[in-house]
Amino acid sequence: MATVTAAASRAVIPGILKVAAGRKLLVLALAAAILVPLAHTRWASGTWPTALTVDLTTPLTDTSTWIIDNRDSHPLFLYFLGHVSNAVVLAVRVVYLLLLAAGWAGTTAFAALFAWRVAGARLALGAAAAFLTCGALGMWVPTMQTLALMVVAVLASVVVGALLGLAAGLSGRMDRALRPVLDTMQVLPAFAYLLPVVLIFGIGVPAAVLATVVYAAPPMARLTALGLRGADKEVLEAVDSLGATARQRLLTARIPLARKELLLGVNQTIMMALSMAVIASVIGAGGLGDRVYQALASVDVGAALAAGIPIVLLAVVLDRVTAAAGDGTERTGRAGWAYALVAAPAVAVAGRLMGRLDWPDTWVLNIAEPVNRAVDWMTAHLYSGVPVVGGTAEWAGRFTTWVLDPVRDGLQWLPWWAVLLVVAALAWLIGTWRTALTATLAMVAIGVLGVWEPSLDTLSQVLAAVAVTLVLGIATGVAAARSDRVDRALRPVLDIFQTMPQFVYLIPVVALFGVGRAPAVAAAVVYALPAVVRITAQGLRQVDPAALESARSLGATPAQQLWQVQLPLARRSLLLAVNQGVVLVLAVVIIGGLVGGGALGYDVVFGLAQGDLATGLVAGAAIVCLGLMLDRVTQPTDRRTKKGA
Amino acid sequence: MSTPVFSVEGLWKVFGPKADRIPTDPELSALPPADLRARTGCTAAVRDVSFGVRKGEVFVVMGLSGSGKSTLVRCLTRLIEPTSGTIAIDGEDVRAMDKSRLRELRRHRAAMVFQHFGLLPHRTVLDNVAYGLEIQGVGKSERRERAAEVVAKVGLEGMEQRRPSQLSGGQRQRVGLARALAVDPEVLLFDEPFSALDPLIRRDMQEEVVRLHREEGRTMVFITHDLSEALKLGDRIALMRDGEVVQLGTPEQIVGSPADDYVREFVRDVPREQVMTVRTAMRPASAEEAGNGPAVAPTATVSEAIEAVARAGAPARVMDSGRCLGVVDANALLDVVAGATGLAVDTDRLGGAIPTAAGTSEELV
Repeated sequence: MATVTAAASRAVIPGILKVAAGRKLLVLALAAAILVPLAHTRWASGTWPTALTVDLTTPLTDTSTWIIDNRDSHPLFLYFLGHVSNAVVLAVRVVYLLLLAAGWAGTTAFAALFAWRVAGARLALGAAAAFLTCGALGMWVPTMQTLALMVVAVLASVVVGALLGLAAGLSGRMDRALRPVLDTMQVLPAFAYLLPVVLIFGIGVPAAVLATVVYAAPPMARLTALGLRGADKEVLEAVDSLGATARQRLLTARIPLARKELLLGVNQTIMMALSMAVIASVIGAGGLGDRVYQALASVDVGAALAAGIPIVLLAVVLDRVTAAAGDGTERTGRAGWAYALVAAPAVAVAGRLMGRLDWPDTWVLNIAEPVNRAVDWMTAHLYSGVPVVGGTAEWAGRFTTWVLDPVRDGLQWLPWWAVLLVVAALAWLIGTWRTALTATLAMVAIGVLGVWEPSLDTLSQVLAAVAVTLVLGIATGVAAARSDRVDRALRPVLDIFQTMPQFVYLIPVVALFGVGRAPAVAAAVVYALPAVVRITAQGLRQVDPAALESARSLGATPAQQLWQVQLPLARRSLLLAVNQGVVLVLAVVIIGGLVGGGALGYDVVFGLAQGDLATGLVAGAAIVCLGLMLDRVTQPTDRRTKKGA
Repeated sequence: MSTPVFSVEGLWKVFGPKADRIPTDPELSALPPADLRARTGCTAAVRDVSFGVRKGEVFVVMGLSGSGKSTLVRCLTRLIEPTSGTIAIDGEDVRAMDKSRLRELRRHRAAMVFQHFGLLPHRTVLDNVAYGLEIQGVGKSERRERAAEVVAKVGLEGMEQRRPSQLSGGQRQRVGLARALAVDPEVLLFDEPFSALDPLIRRDMQEEVVRLHREEGRTMVFITHDLSEALKLGDRIALMRDGEVVQLGTPEQIVGSPADDYVREFVRDVPREQVMTVRTAMRPASAEEAGNGPAVAPTATVSEAIEAVARAGAPARVMDSGRCLGVVDANALLDVVAGATGLAVDTDRLGGAIPTAAGTSEELV
C-alpha cells in the first residue's frame, strides 16, 4: 500500500499502519478524499442539502387522514385493531373499578399484605406508607388510574415478553433474529414509541397501554431468553439422561432454573412500564403522569410535585417488592398467604361498610401552595443576584450562552459531510465497521428526513449533557471505587435515583432553573449520572486484584495504581458507562421538549398537541435514528444489560 | 457366556463438519488426531471402539482428559449421538431405537451419575432423588416413599428437606447417586463422579460404590481419569487414549502386562503387589509342597501372600476349593514386586475380543 510513497516517509507510514486505529482512519481519509469534493461541488452548503431531502409530510398526513377516516369502517380496524383497542379499554376499566371498589383501605391493605408475603414486614410497612402518602397528597384517584393502566400493561408485557423470550431461549435461530431488535429497542428513547401507536389508535388509553407494552416487553424477552440459555448444561444433561420428554425438561428444569432471570425480567418490566405509563400521559394515559404534565405546562411546580411524589413512591415500592421476590429468599408457609388473602378483602369490606371508599377530603394535605411559595421565594432570591456564586437562572443562562449555543452553532456550521465523517470515524474507532456503517446511515436518514437542524440542536444538548455526566459520573465512580465509605453513602441514593421514572426529573429542574434548554440538560445529567457512577465504580472494583496487588508490591502510588492499572483495565466498563450515559441522556433530552428543550422533543409534543402527526412522526423517526447513531458510535464490541440489570 | 449388558462394536464419534464421512473413509480414519483436524476440521472423540460389559461387573473406562471417555459413556444412551458403529443393550440395538423407546431405556435401564452432580437447585434432596420417578410418571406419595428408602441407603437420612446448595460436595454426589439408584436401573453409568471431590471424601464414596456393588451386584460402567480409582473399583478396565482403547483387561493384566509404552508409563508407579494376584507368581507344586504350608486363595494379592509366606517361613499353597493349584515362594513374590514378572495371558478370563498384551517384553525393561 505504501510502496509508492517516498523513502523518507516510509518509516512513518508503516508505523501508523501497524495500529488498527491508524489503518481505519487512513481508509476513511481515502474515502473522504474521493467523495467529499464530489459532494461539495454538487451540494455545497453547511446544512443538509435540500436536494437530498425527501418530504414525507404529504404521504404521512394522507396516511393519518386515511386512518382517521377509516377507523370505523375498514375491516382491519373493525375486526382486529378495534378489538385490541376495546379489550384494552375494558381491561383497564375493570382493574380501575376493582381498585376503586376495594376503596383506599382495601387497596392499601392488599398492597401491604402482598409486600409482606413476598418481601417481609419492612417492605409491607413501606408499601402501606407509600399508598397512604399518595392518598394524603390528594392523588388517590390518579394513582389508581396509573396503577390500573400499569397492571394491564405489565401483564400484557410479561406475557408477550415471556413468549418471545421462550421462543428465543429454545430456538437459536429465533434468538439470533430477535436479539438485535431487542437490543435496539432498549436504546431508543421512550418518546419515539408514542407517535406510531397514536397514528393507529389515536390519542387515548389503548395507545398509552400499547406504547407501554412495546416499551416494557423487551427486557422480559431478553431476560427470559438469557435465563433459559444460561441453564447449567450438566443439569439439563442429567435431566435428559433420566429420560425426560421435551415438555418435562422445559417445565421441571429449564423454567425453574431460570427463575431468577424471570423475576428480574418482571421487575425490569414493571419499572419500564411505570416510566412509560407516566410519559404516555402526553398521549392520553391520564393518571399521575397527566397531572405532572398539566402542571409542568403551566409551570406549577407545587402541583407537579404533589403528583411526582406518588410516582416516586410507587416506583420505589414496586421495585423493592419485586426485587425481593427475585432474591430467592422464599417464604414457604401457606398459612401466611391464606391469612393475607382473608385479611385484604376483610379490610376492603370493612372500609366499604364504614362508607369510606374514597379518600376523605379532610385528610388531604395540600402541598402545592407551600411548595409554590417556596419556589416563588427561590425565584425571588436564588434565580439571580446571589453574591459571588450568582443565581440558578444565571447559571442556566450562562450554560446556554457559553456551552449549548456554541456547540449547537458549531455543529450546524460544520458542513454536513464533515458531520458524517466524524460520526463514521468515531464509530469505527470504538466499534467495528458495522457499527460505523449503521451510525452513518442513521445520520444520513436524519438528513433525508429533512430534520437536520433540529436533530443537531438535540445532538448539541446531548453532547453537552454527556460531557457533564461523564466528568461528574466518572469522578464520583472513582471515588466510590476507592473508598468504601463513599460507596456505602452513595448506594441508597443511587438505588432511589435509578428507580425513578424519567419524567419525574423534570420537576425539580424546572423549580431550580425555569424552562429552556439548560433545565432539560440538567435533568438529563441527573438521570444518567447514577448509571454512569455505578458502572464506573463496578468496573474499577472488578479489576483483577492480582494485577493491583502486583502494582502495589512494585511500590506504585495510589495515583499510579489508578492511572496505570485500574483505569486501563476497566476500559471496557468505562466505554459501557459512556454508552449508557449517552443512551440515558438522549432519552431525557428528548422529554425535555416538554419544558422548553425545543428541537426534536418539542416537535413530537407539538405534533401530538396540534394533531399534526406528520411533523411528530418525522421527529420520532429522527429520534430513532439519533438514538441508533449515538448508541452505535459509542458501542464497545460487546454490551451488557441495561440500566439496573 | 450370556449376552453382555452393553455390547459396543466399532463405535465412532466424530465432531465437526460432515463428520459421518470420517469412519467410512479408510484414509481419513487412519489419520492421527492433529492431522485429521488440520485436514477436515473434525475431531474424532471416539475411534473404532469395541467392548462388552458383562452382567454384574464394574467396567471402568479410564483415560486422561480429552481421551474421549466421557463422550463414550454418553454415546451408550445416546446423550451424544454416535457417528457410526453399533451399540446394543441386552442384544437390542440402541441406535435403532425411536424416541420413545430411547426414553424408556433412559428411564428404566441405564441411569447416570455426573461429575458435577447435575442436581436441580430449586428442589429438596428428596425431590431430587425422586425426580427420575417423577419423569416416569410415578405418583407423588409413592415416589417420595421410594426416594426416602434410597436416601437412607446412601446415608443421607435426616437431610431429605435440604437443598443441594446446603450440602457438601460429597453429600451432593450421594444425592446424584441416589437419584440414579431410585429408578432401579439395570446399569449405572458413572461419569467421573468423584473427580470434583476432596481426596478423603473421594475414598469414602469409592467405598460406598464398592459396598453398593457388593450388596446389589448391579452392572456399572465407571469413567475415571484416576488410575488408582480404576484399579480399586474395576473388574475390567478399558484404557483410552486419543479416542481409542489401547488396552482392555483386568487390573492385573493392565499392571502386569501393559500393552504398549503408553500404558507402561501410566502404570509405572502402581504398587504392583497390591494389584497382582498370586497366580502371577505361581509355579506347579511338588508333591511335598502340596501337602503343607500356609494356604492362600487364588484371588489373593501378592502382598497378602508375602505376609503369609513371611510369617510361615515357607512357600504358600494356592488353594481353590480344597484343591492345590500351585505354590508361591518368596523369590517369585519378590520378582513380582520388583516388576520382573510379566503376566502369562490368562485367556479363559479374557474371553475374546481383547487386544493381547505384549507379554514377554517385560524382561527387556
